[in-house]
Amino acid sequence: LSLEKLRAAIRARCGDEAAAREDRGSLVLEGRVATWAMRTELGFLAAREGFRGVVNDLVAADAEWAAREAPGPEASAAGGGSLEGLAFDMVVIGGGVIGCAIARELSKWRVSVLLLEKEEDVAFHASSRNDGMIHDGFAAKPGSLKAKYNVLGNRLWEPLARELGIDFERPGALVLFANAASKALYPAFAARAAMNGVDGWEYWSPRRVRAEEPNVAAGQHGAFFLPSAGIVSPYRATVALAESAIANGVRVELSTCATGMALDKDRITRVMTTKGSVRAALVVNAAGNWADTVAAWADDRFFSLHQRRGTDMILDPRAGALQNHIMSMPSVTQAKSKTKGGGLVRTVEGNILVGPTAAELPGREAYATDPGELRELEKHLRLNRALSSSMAITYFAGVRACTWEEDFIIERSTRVRNLVHAAGIQSPGLASAPAIAAEIARLSVEALSETRKVAPNASFIARREAPPELRRLPLEERARAIAANPSYGRIVCRCEEISEGEIRDAMSSPLPARSLDAVKRRARPGMGRCHGGFCTPRVMEIIADELGSPLVAVTKKGEGSEMAVAETKTAERGGRP
Amino acid sequence: MIARRDYDVLVIGGGPAGLAAALAAKAAGAEVGLVEREERLGGILKQCVHDGFGLVRFGEMLAGPEYAHRYIELVEASGVKVLLETFVHAVRREEGGGFVLECVSREGGVFEAGAGALVLATGCRERTDRQVFIHGDRPAGVLTAGLAQHLVNIEGLLPGRRAVILGSGDIGLIMARRLSLEGVEVEGVYELKSEPSGLSRNLQQCLVDFGIPLHLSTTVTAVHGRGRVEAVTVAEVDQKGQVRAGTERRIACDCLVLSVGLIPENELALSLGLTLDAVTKGPRVDQDGASALPGVFVCGNALHVNDLVDYVSESGEAAGAAAARFARRGPGRAEGAAGRDEVGASGLGGPGRPSVPAAKPRKGALARARARMAARGAYSASGVVEAAAALAEDGLVRVRPGPGFLYVVPQYLDLSKGGPAVFFFRANATIKEGATVTLSAGARVLLVKRYAALRPPEMERLEIDTAEIPEGTAELVLELRRKGEDHV
Repeated sequence: LSLEKLRAAIRARCGDEAAAREDRGSLVLEGRVATWAMRTELGFLAAREGFRGVVNDLVAADAEWAAREAPGPEASAAGGGSLEGLAFDMVVIGGGVIGCAIARELSKWRVSVLLLEKEEDVAFHASSRNDGMIHDGFAAKPGSLKAKYNVLGNRLWEPLARELGIDFERPGALVLFANAASKALYPAFAARAAMNGVDGWEYWSPRRVRAEEPNVAAGQHGAFFLPSAGIVSPYRATVALAESAIANGVRVELSTCATGMALDKDRITRVMTTKGSVRAALVVNAAGNWADTVAAWADDRFFSLHQRRGTDMILDPRAGALQNHIMSMPSVTQAKSKTKGGGLVRTVEGNILVGPTAAELPGREAYATDPGELRELEKHLRLNRALSSSMAITYFAGVRACTWEEDFIIERSTRVRNLVHAAGIQSPGLASAPAIAAEIARLSVEALSETRKVAPNASFIARREAPPELRRLPLEERARAIAANPSYGRIVCRCEEISEGEIRDAMSSPLPARSLDAVKRRARPGMGRCHGGFCTPRVMEIIADELGSPLVAVTKKGEGSEMAVAETKTAERGGRP
Repeated sequence: MIARRDYDVLVIGGGPAGLAAALAAKAAGAEVGLVEREERLGGILKQCVHDGFGLVRFGEMLAGPEYAHRYIELVEASGVKVLLETFVHAVRREEGGGFVLECVSREGGVFEAGAGALVLATGCRERTDRQVFIHGDRPAGVLTAGLAQHLVNIEGLLPGRRAVILGSGDIGLIMARRLSLEGVEVEGVYELKSEPSGLSRNLQQCLVDFGIPLHLSTTVTAVHGRGRVEAVTVAEVDQKGQVRAGTERRIACDCLVLSVGLIPENELALSLGLTLDAVTKGPRVDQDGASALPGVFVCGNALHVNDLVDYVSESGEAAGAAAARFARRGPGRAEGAAGRDEVGASGLGGPGRPSVPAAKPRKGALARARARMAARGAYSASGVVEAAAALAEDGLVRVRPGPGFLYVVPQYLDLSKGGPAVFFFRANATIKEGATVTLSAGARVLLVKRYAALRPPEMERLEIDTAEIPEGTAELVLELRRKGEDHV
């Protein structure tokens, strides 16, 4: 019945060009529509009909290219066969925060684990393109997997960050009331927080808000305060998780793209990659914006992903002193939207992050920003009277990997016996990551145990030895560190006060950085207000030295992103004699 | 135990301003330390291999490294203690006056350097693509002109083969020429404003002479490319800088070089509690670069972005000599006992120098001191009239630019210092028909200067004898009249 209703709705909008059918419990949308917006509208419409998942294969005439997107590099860029024929108990596809957290959880078991990451570093996509917030769990829809894993993940992050040697803070979040009437929402807010199991909430009077946040905008009418809201550096966390996994025996293959799978009835036997095919006893799908593509390889595409781009602006670290908590002021219309609406988020480095926006747009890795999004961010800036867009150091976009049902998929495949999905992990995915990883590891071990015995890894080392951050050491300690390693005394990045030694550390860690961006993710040179204007050549020199390669080969973010095209004295002279 | 060495004067920054300041301070008899974070002195001049430096100062055209070399040789022979590859982690005011730099270096580890006076010669940094809100993708091949200059001139690397340059500032123009000479095709220079931002001589020598087109009222709106730049989109803009719809065009290139402005680097000044002038982005100072905080002097591009290095050296000399006088003599009349004590009380931290008995502030003295500090740091604090009065109480005269000026530096004069005082100003719009600039104290005209033309990119220099300023003057006014308006 619901399928008929949906078909009528489709006909009313696009005639016979588009169609809907059921496939093994999922709803498949096929055919052509005029616009991406229409494709999106029909996807959401279909998700309301209670099917297991929506597979939206509609091609939008204004973005036909989106239907042809593929995760892999061009065929010619395929790697050698270094992985060919190798066998692993577990193959994790995707080196974002979810894949890396899963790999680390799996390393608590006596299993061989391979993590495949198609980019030159982990945290290349959504995991380095978000606001770093460890949400309290209040905003998630009650009863959703998002709500469940967010609250659990929020509790796990603090001890996990300690183990990984990374910063974690709980500044708490203020959801500001926009008018006197919205104050009446407090009981409903409290009820929702209680339903989700959020760890604490309070009503703050306008006076209390002013006292705790002296720069808050005049238009606030008190706030709903969520003390459990926290922050981490999402890319540092991802790198730390990967390094800890490696230290516990996981093999991480960067610049290695999975390209397909071989199946034998209801089992995956091999995963094809650009470095050859590997045998896999169990496969974990943590492929972010490509998770539906990976599911399709196993003939288990019971869902599909759509992309929601978000843009954030980063303010100068000086702004960090102007605000104590995370702040947002959801509008009334926000209640109906798919996102939490963004706000002003502190970062562990002391910056303020403004955003994110939310826009349904094609492109799984389309990170171009546009001026309209920045204008949208102005509304958040106004929450704090001391902030202005002139404090912006930079801005960036990320793409949320959303199912049409707008919830996580954390389950064993129902069609393939040795596949586990961690899919549709959009916000609050970072906050949920430790809890998702624990559950995926449990499911994976359970699945693998059907064919062989799996024992805990008694020699698992939880603690990761984090490299020192010299600028944060007490002076005496810093002096000792420099005496032992003089390269800690040579400051390369003036804005963030990063030494040569810290950059070399980033290049000799268990997961060594090999490009400027990868170094930046670990050690932060170039993150400051000059944005690499001064330190870039210095960092390039250190990278070239560590890699033993010429300066001209140094890249921004892997092959094809070289910082220079040639050496001047050997360069062709543009046709001059 | 952290090692410590004390100086009379510590100069932070070994570029042209710092070199001149260190030399001048040394010549005035001070023990001087010069702190430089890079491995060589010279600052940005090291990478400026083009000529045009030193015309005012030495009467000849020097390349950047040559100009720097003249000062470096003198500094090396002078007995100034040069601390290379030394980074100032923090600066703090000492109880009893003076300052301590917490330094980090490869050789010295962590150590402290103390001084009675500081000269901040920290230069400027470049505005980046994000600070002018360029959108699109984030490939390799987008770089500031200074970074491009470093890669080409110091590292011997070509940043691309077909470049688009955004911004007609001097470094952008110079890089257009430099890249052309290295065989790079410079597709064009694009400028948001309706007038070029660089010096006239650079427009001629770097663009016209090389046949490189300059597109005014046109900007880059987006960058395209995944690994490296593949193209940029440019578009025409209206007078408000808004893109004219329909004028977008895509230009194939592999490199975007940005010359979109310089910002004085004043992190240390800010950490000392100084506020910055909203226009110059540097601290407000008197004719010797003395800031609102006694003992802290600022010079060169940290004060305001200069057009010629010769003027940078000149301001360094003034600041260095004054810093030496301050350190050796202690605070002068304007920074007397009560004044110093109240600086501490005004929230900048640190009490007055104990060797000077701290006078018990009279009723209202604190408020007045606050007003004075505010006036010297930021005129807006208590209104123009009160600010001028507060300054006058310190023997300071405010210099107020009238309509038509972008800014004037210094922002005030300390009449107690006597002698000549040098001003720099910039007009806020191009005046082609000629103009007259007058500096007056009330009814008394101190100086009249006529200009055939004025352009915002070009700094103009004025010099007066402070002895000519009548006693009791609270404010000097700089006025600009276009030709034909003389009798208005």
